[in-house]
Amino acid sequence: MKENSRDSKSGKKAAAPSDNVLLQTVEQYKREREILLALSSDLTKVRDKNDLILLFKKRIKGLFYISHTIVTLIDYKDATYTPFLLDNDGSPIRSHQRYQEMVHSRFPLNEPFIQSVLHAAAPISFLLEDIMNEPQSPPFLRVNYEKGVKEILMATLMKEEKAMGFLHVYTDKPGGFSTEFRSIINGIIPQISSAVSNIIKNEELLKEEEEKSFLLDFSSEIATVRTKEGLARAVQGALHKLNPSGGFVIRRINEDKKALSPYVHDLSKTHDKKILTALENSVFPINDGIQNRILNSAIPMLFNTEREIQRSPDSAYLQYWKQMGMENFAGIRLRNGETNLGILLLDLDDINVKLLKGICAQVSIAMANIMANEQITKTQEEQSFLLDFSKDITRVRTRLDLQKAIFTVLDKTMHTQLAMIRVIDDDGIHLSSFMYDRSLFPNTKGTFDDMVAIRITVEETYTAQVLASEEGLMFNVEEELKNGNAYATLWKTTGLKNMYALPLRVGDKNIGTIWMLANRLSPLLVKGICAQISIAIANIQANEQLDGYKKKLEVENDYLKEQIKTIYNFSEIIGSGEAMQKVYRLISLVADSNTSVLVTGETGTGKELIARAIHNASPRKEKLMVKVNCAALPASLIESELFGHERGAFTGAVDRRIGKFELANNSTLFLDEIGELPLDAQAKLLRVIQERELERIGGKQTIKLDVRLIAATNRNLEEEIKAGRFRADLYFRLNVFPIHLPPLRQRLEDIEPLTNFFIQKYARSTGRKIRSISPRVMHKLRSYTWPGNVRELEHLVERSILLSEDGKIEDIYIPENAAEDQQNPALLLNRSLDEVERSYIIETLKRCAGKISGAGSAAEVLKIPGNTLHSKMKKLGIYKSDYFS
Amino acid sequence: MKIVVIGGSGLIGTKVVAQLREKGHQVIAGSPSTGINTITGEGLAAAMKDTDIVIDLANSPSFEDNAVMEFFQTAGRNLLGAEISAGVKHHVALSIVGVDIMQNIGYMRAKMAQEDLIRQSGIPYTIIRSTQFFEFIGGIANQATQGNEVHLSDVKFQPIASDDVAAFVVKYALGAPLNNKIEIAGPDRFDMYQVADRYLQYMKDPRKVIANGKPEYFGGAVTHAALVPAGLADLGAVSFENWLTTQLQNA
Ligand SMILES: NC(=O)c1ccc[n+]([C@@H]2O[C@H](COP(=O)([O-])OP(=O)(O)OC[C@H]3O[C@@H](n4cnc5c(N)ncnc54)[C@H](OP(=O)(O)O)[C@@H]3O)[C@@H](O)[C@H]2O)c1
Repeated sequence: MKENSRDSKSGKKAAAPSDNVLLQTVEQYKREREILLALSSDLTKVRDKNDLILLFKKRIKGLFYISHTIVTLIDYKDATYTPFLLDNDGSPIRSHQRYQEMVHSRFPLNEPFIQSVLHAAAPISFLLEDIMNEPQSPPFLRVNYEKGVKEILMATLMKEEKAMGFLHVYTDKPGGFSTEFRSIINGIIPQISSAVSNIIKNEELLKEEEEKSFLLDFSSEIATVRTKEGLARAVQGALHKLNPSGGFVIRRINEDKKALSPYVHDLSKTHDKKILTALENSVFPINDGIQNRILNSAIPMLFNTEREIQRSPDSAYLQYWKQMGMENFAGIRLRNGETNLGILLLDLDDINVKLLKGICAQVSIAMANIMANEQITKTQEEQSFLLDFSKDITRVRTRLDLQKAIFTVLDKTMHTQLAMIRVIDDDGIHLSSFMYDRSLFPNTKGTFDDMVAIRITVEETYTAQVLASEEGLMFNVEEELKNGNAYATLWKTTGLKNMYALPLRVGDKNIGTIWMLANRLSPLLVKGICAQISIAIANIQANEQLDGYKKKLEVENDYLKEQIKTIYNFSEIIGSGEAMQKVYRLISLVADSNTSVLVTGETGTGKELIARAIHNASPRKEKLMVKVNCAALPASLIESELFGHERGAFTGAVDRRIGKFELANNSTLFLDEIGELPLDAQAKLLRVIQERELERIGGKQTIKLDVRLIAATNRNLEEEIKAGRFRADLYFRLNVFPIHLPPLRQRLEDIEPLTNFFIQKYARSTGRKIRSISPRVMHKLRSYTWPGNVRELEHLVERSILLSEDGKIEDIYIPENAAEDQQNPALLLNRSLDEVERSYIIETLKRCAGKISGAGSAAEVLKIPGNTLHSKMKKLGIYKSDYFS
Repeated sequence: MKIVVIGGSGLIGTKVVAQLREKGHQVIAGSPSTGINTITGEGLAAAMKDTDIVIDLANSPSFEDNAVMEFFQTAGRNLLGAEISAGVKHHVALSIVGVDIMQNIGYMRAKMAQEDLIRQSGIPYTIIRSTQFFEFIGGIANQATQGNEVHLSDVKFQPIASDDVAAFVVKYALGAPLNNKIEIAGPDRFDMYQVADRYLQYMKDPRKVIANGKPEYFGGAVTHAALVPAGLADLGAVSFENWLTTQLQNA
């Protein structure tokens, strides 16, 4: 390589010095010194590129002939140098087609041309044609040559003893660099070096200033932001300064933490409706290979759209961005403290870390503030909403009202479905369904009804968890499905994501559970609503209980009245004969126990009196005995009479009714005429007796019972069983302790005291004074068969009193030939005619005190002559002992 | 090929950059001084553009346990993240022989964290585990100096010349990614204190080396063979003696 150094040239010039030349040389040095001084002082004033360019253009060009000057800077990062400053106003190469390329090129340092510059101790010049064809020479040499430039003078700019760049001076005149010029350049190179590093420093400072004021502007802009829209405007304004044509999007992490949704954006780059709606309305899964990378990166990231599409071809938004012409994009996470809020995606090709971080810090704060604001507004709304709800609910008195209030609130305002409210029963163990939305599971009615019907306990796994929890639990439907929760299959049918289960509490007391399906519920709202619902339920329960008490009181009242009506009937049982003595013994034997008693006996024998006597002698006597006449009610009503019903259990059941069984709890239930009970009711009765609990008709709740049963009948139940009209199993349950009441005709000795008793009773109530009863009448009473037993006697006495005169009963109207006589079961037994005849004659003789013939005799009653009776007695073997016993 | 050498201004980095440029590659020497910072992320994305190979030869400015862990984790995450985005095809890192068995030492834990991040990144990689550089011996002596005495262990020691390290790094960087680690070491094996002793003598350092017989390295207990390759290793060409000679010439 040929090089023309200053020494070689000056050597030529200084070959033959003369005085003149010497003088000239002195002059020259003087001039040189002056130029140097002047330039130096100018150079110290250089602040920016323009100053330096002016200096080259105006000052140096004014002194020497050159075509143009360039400063290049070394980048040690990749060991290159590149144009920094171009004084090319008059430069001939500006018109060269490679000019722009040259301006932006990075020329490698490791080639001989620039290395020789670096190694030269002073500015060094080259003739372009000598070096430009060297294989590694930088192309700008040829470019200059092609535009007529002949020679280049290169000087190395130094900073802290390290090469920082080069000064290139070009001339189109051959031999155009004078010794003086070279010497001057050599002299001012240190000043040019420091001028260049000053310019760099200044530019850096300026850039920093700009960034700072940019961020400052942005921050004051952001400080006024209160809403999403405001944020969008502020970000758009700022980013527009960075990249006027670029768009941006801020995505926010959704509450499920599984996806991000667009928060604010500028999509002005496209007008394609399809793209816009797709981008605006989508939810993007967090782990899509881009968003998760951004969220995990502490620094801004630069992405190449095409490369990311290759990586995750399914990511729709990348395709759209590509269509929008975004080659690259930057992504930065938005973070408040240690919490990721979302990401900022920008249409940018380069990353200025400081600037982006600054922007993101501001955006994050604004976003956090807006979110906090939104939260506050939401909380306020929720609170006022709760207040309204609480007003609604204080007016609630019945379940129906409550149901209406709850459904309105949950469905309309919270997009929540009430699945079920269960309430803890009085026993503190069971939970019954209190309210539920059957329409919630329309396709699964069977399963849901089954579940509703099951009376769970507080120990049930899910219920126990809920009751034990402080503020309720959330069951994720999908997860519960995986865990094999049987309920979850049902939940799933609603399409809602979560089941919220909360304890209902009044004070510290659990009163039940509430189950609601929703995608998401505000904890504050749910808590508030549950508190209100709890109170409302407690009120309704109290109301219902009050109603119950009222009803019970009314019913009890009725019974009291009935009791008062019949009080004289059972204060005493009249009769001291042998047969009754046996009955009394049985009563006193059984009264203390809880044993069921079956009282049998013909109609009118006083079975109810016996039942009351048993009750009154039992430990249950403090409570009222409850009586049901099974024959008195139509078969269709007997069950509800006995067991009660829930409202709506059947047509006509407008109200809830407490059954006689429930009423008789802890007391005695007297089932009169049990033989008349329909078979269906018998079955149910049997179940209640066996299980000692019952369910109201149409009810789901079972009620534990402690009831003593006394049944009575005038039928022969064994015959009824044979005929299929009575259940044998029920009979065995009832017939634990049978008491048979003898018919009045078998206790003739009691007829007189009974008659006197009834005379007393009716004399008092009618106000008549009966002083005597004729012996004839008494005799007549004794000889009658009394098919209607004591009751018939009572009625007869009552009638006779009304017909009496002068306080004397002279006659009594015993029905002649009473038809029922033939019906008397005693006479209808399967016996031979002789047997019937024999026993009938004995009966009659007994009633007639053994008198065979004459007035008031058996013969008279039987309407046969005395002789005939005598011979019949002989024939049938009737002796005195038979009728005197 | 475009290659980015992170820590390109460091001891090994400078040499690797020079050797790669010598071979005609387009090399970017990345370091905070050249505007490429793996901690702040400055210049990183731009440097990674169109890059084929990244060689990480950076080191933490502070060796305090927490600081060094923070450095290698943050730098590792940022660098690997940028590489993934840029589609880099080979990541090469310089680690230390025995790093996995000296986890009681903070620096080793940090280097292990760096290795783990690389393995998990999904980027094709080669991890080069090197023994200590000759240049490091002075530092080892200094940290073991008490007054005029240098108390050093007799653990096995097989230091390597930084030129050799750089040559190996270049070789493996230009080769296909191994997706594994390989080990490199110096040609000769010593007891640690011997090397320091020889070094100080050669440097005419008045300090006296005393073998304390404790198997330790930077204050942490290690096995005798922890610092030397257990199996096959690539051995450097420059012997300790040869290196010493050049050191005096340079001085
Ligand atoms: N020393 C040993 O015996 C030994 C043994 C085996 C392996 N190694 C490993 O070899 C590697 C290189 O060691 P070395 O001695 O060559 O290191 P070194 O001379 O200390 O150089 C460290 C390099 O890291 C750069 N650096 C620091 N912070 C940076 C950042 N935030 N971003 C980018 N670059 C950064 C430095 O740049 P600046 O110059 O701009 O600060 C410098 O170029 C280390 O990873 C080390 O663990 C060392």
